[in-house]
Amino acid sequence: MSAQVSYNMATKQVRYEALVKALHSDLFRYAYWLCHDKHVAEDLVQETFLRAWRALDSLKDEKAAKSWLITILRRENARRFERKRFEMSEYEEAAITDTQSTSNEQEIENYWLREKIAQMPEEYREPLVLQIIGGFSGEEIAKQLDLNKNTVMTRLFRARNQLKEALENTTKVRGQYNG
Amino acid sequence: MDDLQFRRRIYADPNTRDEDMLDAIKSDPSKQSFAQELEDLDSKLFRALNVEVPSDLSDKLILRQTLASHQQQKRKSRVHLSIAASVAFAMGLTFNFMQFSSTYSTLGDYAIAHVAHEEDYFSNTSTENVSLASLNDKMATFNGSFTSRVGKLLFANFCRFDGMKSLHLVYQGETSTVTVFVVPNNEDLEFSANFTGNKLIGKSQHFTHSNIIVVGDKNEPLQKWQNAIDKSVNWSI
Repeated sequence: MSAQVSYNMATKQVRYEALVKALHSDLFRYAYWLCHDKHVAEDLVQETFLRAWRALDSLKDEKAAKSWLITILRRENARRFERKRFEMSEYEEAAITDTQSTSNEQEIENYWLREKIAQMPEEYREPLVLQIIGGFSGEEIAKQLDLNKNTVMTRLFRARNQLKEALENTTKVRGQYNG
Repeated sequence: MDDLQFRRRIYADPNTRDEDMLDAIKSDPSKQSFAQELEDLDSKLFRALNVEVPSDLSDKLILRQTLASHQQQKRKSRVHLSIAASVAFAMGLTFNFMQFSSTYSTLGDYAIAHVAHEEDYFSNTSTENVSLASLNDKMATFNGSFTSRVGKLLFANFCRFDGMKSLHLVYQGETSTVTVFVVPNNEDLEFSANFTGNKLIGKSQHFTHSNIIVVGDKNEPLQKWQNAIDKSVNWSI
């Protein structure tokens, strides 16, 4: 029996490590866009995976792993506010500059976009992050956020609409500076 | 599909693979360029949203889990040890309880069980005859003596009466033997003046330090026996 137990432990370990490797980036990015803070995001992801480890046996379908983890993370994030609300000062740390993989032009664009995304109301940002980073469909996002699908689609529409307009405006402004 | 409808849907999901949307894109060049625009926007958004992930995050996650589960296991093994200890303790208690506690709750129950158990050892026609002197010799242990013989005594010896040293006397009765126990007072067994079993009945009499119990077949005149013993017995203290 003890061999069985350690065998199960080993399988669990393998499953867990596979989950971490496959999903920690998405989860981190999702957490980042929830809280706009690298360190808080990292803590959130750690808490989430720790809980996931304890509850790993309840995850029957590996395909559902991502939405399962995101559910845990959202709950974990909500709990953060229950415990103590750290009032975030006006959002400053808009960008984590990534100088290695993107050109300078792109970097500036990313910076602008991140700023805009960060300023967007939470209710628009969250579905957008779930769609683009998480790769979830409208139905899945609706389920995840406990909204109806039409609401989600409307929010996605508005989110993109806002960003697109903002981006076009800034390009114009920048264009003027350049010219 | 009208333009507004199309825009709403392409905005909501630029990567849509719905048939009608794909058809609309294919059939209308302006829709096609609009879809392209939004695809570009999405790839920009994707780049923007893809913030850099700390490179050591996955190692940290695995490390933290390893530490946590190690600690959990340590806790678990402590829990297991304490469970094992508790079980052993409980078993010890139970064993003690079973070993040393009375299975029978009254004097009468035990007396009947005792007699029934030893039924085969004594026969009413036995030729044994124990003298009064040797009986009193044994009675001295209980600070008592008999002034006269109350009947033909076939057997007299010490025995264990529910763990207590007692005197076991077997007399010749009218049709079967009559057993008399002299038992020290005991709080564990409830005193019962009269008691009845399947075949046997009994009577107990309470004295200062001892009980005298008479057990015999239902046909035996136990009251007579009890009276005779009561008359004959003497207690030194």
